[in-house]
Amino acid sequence: MNSEVLIVATSAGLFAIGGAGALLHRHPVSLLMAIEVMLNAANLLIVLGARVHGGADAEATALVVLVLAAAEAVIGLALALALFRRRAVPDVDQAAELRG
Amino acid sequence: MDALFVPLAVGCVVALASALGVVLARRPVYAAVFLLVHSLSLAALYGLLSAAIVAVGQVIIYSGAIVVLFLFVVTLLPSGGAETRATGGRIGAACVALAAVLVALAAALAAGALPTPPTTVGDLSVNAVGTTLFGSLLVAFELTAPLLLVAIVGAVVIWRRHEPRPRTTTTVKISEPRSLVMHR
Repeated sequence: MNSEVLIVATSAGLFAIGGAGALLHRHPVSLLMAIEVMLNAANLLIVLGARVHGGADAEATALVVLVLAAAEAVIGLALALALFRRRAVPDVDQAAELRG
Repeated sequence: MDALFVPLAVGCVVALASALGVVLARRPVYAAVFLLVHSLSLAALYGLLSAAIVAVGQVIIYSGAIVVLFLFVVTLLPSGGAETRATGGRIGAACVALAAVLVALAAALAAGALPTPPTTVGDLSVNAVGTTLFGSLLVAFELTAPLLLVAIVGAVVIWRRHEPRPRTTTTVKISEPRSLVMHR
């Protein structure tokens, strides 16, 4: 087992753990953290690709993905706080309406 | 690259264990602390994979900004963010998803050829990454600025929309200052 296989297997495991966590939780903040784990798994694979193929553009892409993760976290946490205004113990399943 | 196998393996184990902690922690504040450990271990992995600039970005953006943002939100939550206990159906769905994703990814990896170790290592210095970022990826890089601006404005709008109305809706008339009243 060489290092590339190890990293690819870790990335797959992280993605699966994050996906399972996103299904497991009803708390919006915990849900967002599970999604962050999935995003990190994808980023790890991008960095491994940059290393294996020697591409600096893949590393730059990983940096852009980091910024996207920041924007996603800001919007997701604002939505979570908006849910908390309605109920003390929120449930993402109950936010089933979209109204402008 | 196999000289780095042991440190990479340590980093991978820490990353996987802390990811499990993020998912399984009962309270969101513990999950946030696990997320901090997770992002730091990933930064170490990036550093070992000779992606120095991504490692620094991970520490600054992820550990420094995003995890702290999560912690702020958790402290703002009423009742410390207590969660209703997961039902059996949810646990079952999570286990099925975990197994399915793992099997699918393992099958895909077994079917496809894994990357062969590099024959010629390309230039991965900060200089090269910066040249790419301001060269071929310039549009994507510049678009992140309006994206972040829109995210900030959107977060404020989402927050203000649900603000309760002030109790007194009658407008209070401001009387004219005495000194300005003219007596004929």
